[in-house]
Amino acid sequence: MSTPLKTSFRYLRRSPFQALAAISVLAITYFVMTLLTTTVYSVGQALTYFETRPQTIAFLKTEAKDEEIKALEQKLQSDSRVRTVRVVSREDALELYKNATKDNPLLGELVSPSIFPPSIEFSVTVLQNAQTVLEEVKKEPIVDTIGFTANIGGKDSVNTVIERLKEISKALRTVGFVAVGVLLVTSFLVLIVVMTMRTTMRKSEIESLSLLGATPGFIRTPIVLEALQYSIIGVVVGWLLAVILIMYVTPSLFTYFGEIPILPREMDKFFMLFGVSFVLNLVSALIIALASSTLAVSRSIRTIK
Amino acid sequence: MLEFKNVTKRFGQITALDDISFTVESGEFIFVIGPSGAGKTTIMKLVIHEYTPDSGEIILDGEPLHKFKSWQVPKLRQKLGIVFQDFKLLPSRTIYENIETALAVKRVTKSEWDERIKHVLNLVGLENRAHLFPSQLSGGELQRAAIARAIVVNPSVIFADEPTGNLDWETADGIMKLLVRINEEGKTVIVTTHNQEIVAKYGGRVIEVRDGKIVNDHKVSKKHKHEHTS
Repeated sequence: MSTPLKTSFRYLRRSPFQALAAISVLAITYFVMTLLTTTVYSVGQALTYFETRPQTIAFLKTEAKDEEIKALEQKLQSDSRVRTVRVVSREDALELYKNATKDNPLLGELVSPSIFPPSIEFSVTVLQNAQTVLEEVKKEPIVDTIGFTANIGGKDSVNTVIERLKEISKALRTVGFVAVGVLLVTSFLVLIVVMTMRTTMRKSEIESLSLLGATPGFIRTPIVLEALQYSIIGVVVGWLLAVILIMYVTPSLFTYFGEIPILPREMDKFFMLFGVSFVLNLVSALIIALASSTLAVSRSIRTIK
Repeated sequence: MLEFKNVTKRFGQITALDDISFTVESGEFIFVIGPSGAGKTTIMKLVIHEYTPDSGEIILDGEPLHKFKSWQVPKLRQKLGIVFQDFKLLPSRTIYENIETALAVKRVTKSEWDERIKHVLNLVGLENRAHLFPSQLSGGELQRAAIARAIVVNPSVIFADEPTGNLDWETADGIMKLLVRINEEGKTVIVTTHNQEIVAKYGGRVIEVRDGKIVNDHKVSKKHKHEHTS
């Protein structure tokens, strides 16, 4: 083991309670940060899910010809604001009707395709554009009426759901940013205090090293390494606890949210998500550790001749 | 190799060194003597750039130390072997690790460490104390450990500040013999002391400092048989 690393481990062992305090604060920070990041991700996923569902349906006039329907379909497909387009013919509509009334097959037998108007279901990429696109489609000569798809409960319902989700997402992001910011600043300050205490305790040692000809870098390295050890341990503990908690509640979440993909169901994607969150946590922790320890030790080195 | 040219150092109203000049040649063994507060330690601290002179020049191996910038100081200190009055051994490290630290500071190749440490421990007679902590050693052993740490980096000059202070005669004599042996290996050794008996026994060039001034710079002949009367 290299000398600075050995020295940093020695420092860590010498004052375990200070080390524990620093590690605990960092672990709490990264536990909360992992949970918040996951929640923001899940809300984002739910929002995308609702936004990408076929939201609007244009019922076409019964006299609409196939070429005209095809032309409108192509027009919508070429519109960058439109994400998905699906033409539902009279026959398709009848099939849907039969499926919906399969408990009572007689109802399906009583109707013919001619009573169902053809329709075009489509979704927009950004929900804000929905109204404009709707207005434009409404003006098409073959369009009779326009509305929201029934599977999310009509216009008011879909708007309410999405708007509420957006509000939740926005609030979560704001609260998350503030909470993580406060926790990161607290961790930074706690690390500065701990590292300053450590360097003050070692002042005579630092002085002796300096008199032996140690460069500021040589003196600084074990102290910075010690702070990095705290942050790495803190991130691993905090992240691991959060992942264990999330994995524990995931089956219940999947049951509750059904097909809404709030978290990846495939293991590789699941671990990829938490891998990315771990790397982000680690990077921020390393930055905090480097900044706080460098600041703490520089103050001590400055006073030594 | 070391030259002080009209060096003055003041601490507020107190003049610690007043226009002193002297030259030390390579391979010399020099005593800097004088009572406490005469300015002996200030000379050493000026050499290691812990202090900077108010006026005058200090030249070491042709390099003007008084003009050194702070980034040049570590390199300078790595060239010197300093034995501090209060040893300055790291209390949390064993004697072996203390010596190892000096090698790490100078970035000596790791493969050489063990051999060099064993050699100096053998030289100072602490081979059986290598894995003890400073708090477990006697004053004489601490002094020898400090010498071992100073010489392990193979410096061209050893500066020992009161190496016999607070030691009984026999231990002090042992330390001096060790320093003489190091000098015989070709190293320049500068010893500050207020112990006249030591100076009388070992002789050589003696620079006497009093109230910040050099009052005498002369050769003292060596007593071959020392009789300790105190």
